Amino acid sequence: MINLVVKDLKKNFGGLHVLKGVSFEINGPELIGLIGPNGAGKTTLTNVLDGAIKPNSGTVYLGGNRIDQLQPFEVARHGLGRTFQVTRSFRRMTVLENLMVPALALDQGLSRSEIDDKAMEVLEFLTVEHLRNEYAKSLSGGQQKLLELGRLLMLNPDVIILDEPFAGVHPKLMEIIYKYIERVNNDGTAIILISHQMDSIFSLCKRLLVLNYGDLIADGTPDVVKNDPTVIEAYLGSDDEED
Amino acid sequence: MSKQQVPLIVGVIIISFLMIFPFVYTANNYPYVMHIMIAGFFYAILTSSWSMLAGYGGQFSFGHMGFTGIGAYTTALFCHYIYLSPEATNICTEFSVGSQYLVIVNPIGITSSTLVQDCLREAMSIWDGSVKVTPMPVWLGIILGIAMGGLFGLLIGLLVLPLRAAYLALFTLGFTEILRAVISSELDITRGQAGLELPKLFENGITIFGRHFDKTDPLPPYFVMLFLLFFCLGVLYWLAQSKFGLFIRALREDQDAAAALGVNTTKYKIMLFVITSMMAAAAGAFFAHYIGIISPNNLMILQMSLVVSMAVIAGIENIFAAAIGAIIIEFTLETLRTSFDVPLIGVEVDMTVWRLVIFGALLMITLRLSRNGIIAPIINYFLRGHVADETVAKRKVSDSSEESA
Repeated sequence: MINLVVKDLKKNFGGLHVLKGVSFEINGPELIGLIGPNGAGKTTLTNVLDGAIKPNSGTVYLGGNRIDQLQPFEVARHGLGRTFQVTRSFRRMTVLENLMVPALALDQGLSRSEIDDKAMEVLEFLTVEHLRNEYAKSLSGGQQKLLELGRLLMLNPDVIILDEPFAGVHPKLMEIIYKYIERVNNDGTAIILISHQMDSIFSLCKRLLVLNYGDLIADGTPDVVKNDPTVIEAYLGSDDEED
Repeated sequence: MSKQQVPLIVGVIIISFLMIFPFVYTANNYPYVMHIMIAGFFYAILTSSWSMLAGYGGQFSFGHMGFTGIGAYTTALFCHYIYLSPEATNICTEFSVGSQYLVIVNPIGITSSTLVQDCLREAMSIWDGSVKVTPMPVWLGIILGIAMGGLFGLLIGLLVLPLRAAYLALFTLGFTEILRAVISSELDITRGQAGLELPKLFENGITIFGRHFDKTDPLPPYFVMLFLLFFCLGVLYWLAQSKFGLFIRALREDQDAAAALGVNTTKYKIMLFVITSMMAAAAGAFFAHYIGIISPNNLMILQMSLVVSMAVIAGIENIFAAAIGAIIIEFTLETLRTSFDVPLIGVEVDMTVWRLVIFGALLMITLRLSRNGIIAPIINYFLRGHVADETVAKRKVSDSSEESA
């Protein structure tokens, strides 16, 4: 049973309070949208969850194990995977090699041919199997996003954080990413989806977390969040500000 | 024969050529040519291991010659200062080891005004030939040199963990310069610029298949350096093909992304430094025993620049390209030393200078026109030339099956 518990997470950069005591829980394979205006702290929260940044205080538990003081590779091995806002494929490595990295890093006892088979299955699902021997740098921006998602499938984590997976993606590839999210979620993986594309967020997610200047200002279903005055104010500004 | 087999066949031809070359080459300049070949193998080990460090792993270190120096000086100091004696000298620092004494000779450098000889020589003159002192075996010195190279590689690897790109280059450059300065200034121990003499690789000669080679014969060191090169290339190739090779390339591409996918980047970065440092130290130790003397000049930035340039011109992302390039460039640089007169205008072209101009120009042209060097793209053409066609063919099959569906 997936269980991610984030409790009172705080992160400061000098005098700037980027996370001001964020708390939430994920129980089971939920599909959660994490939204908020620019500078709300979404990426910082992601970096803290994956171990790239250490919090000033607060705790993160995944499956009962405390992970907030672990290195990113240990967090990944505990079952939390992520993509990056700007795609970070291994450009001078082939598509197949990109997929082999997480599979070998996990050391699941699979042989090379088993890993190859698994990678081919992932590439077929993402409809880029014909590119398997091409260097990642020769892929289009959208295909590189698919590759990043494919690497996560090879990592097979319990929780996935997808940071802006739809940004700058062709509608046809967007369909594939939609299918990806649904399949991974149906397979029992919890997903935290960060996106500024509200249509996608509202159509995919059953629960939304809203961050604003480091505060978690809402946590609920899309309908509840959509009508939450605090959220409306955060996104549209208050009447006072307009004056 | 497929295109992908061409590099393998060329490799077999090159290996065969290098194996039979000393037996078929009979010109008058045989010792000189053999020396150039041995030096070429030395640089080939350095460039291929540096290519693993910088080209595969993205760790653009300028410390490689420093590790070469550590290997060379460790074995030099070991062979120079430590002896086994059946009798106690009672004037040297010494430890009883079984029935022998491990004697540590006192350093007198080259400028001592009070001592004309070290304590062991003094004891030996008292013994007047009645006691036979045994120098330490060269192979043990070489092993210690390699181990010391690995130890310093570990230390530097740990220290440069948070550093990337230019900061790493500057840090490692500083490390080599500090090492060179320490060796230059510690005259008593290292003899500074005068250099430290080492016993030859085979100080008492060696007999192979019934033929005796004396210590100055270039044939045994030729094969020692050649086999060391083969060994290093074998290890590097094995590593490059293993998950180690995959992870360090991921590290080069994006350290944070690799870590987020479960790669222990710290461990692999340190391992990379240790392994390549040990290879540099091994090359330094063997070559120092072949030359018979080591001085701080061997650690100069110019030497490191030569290794970097060789790797860049040949192809930094391919260990074989780097090794082949190093041998060709070393050979070319040496053969271009011969100055000549331009007949009509009677001007002498000083090739000792102009060869470096040609080398520099080749480096600049390579950097401008072919980022991955000259030899590596040729190998890539044969190994990966078919990939684009395959991709297009697969795409067509996939498109046509979609249409028919």
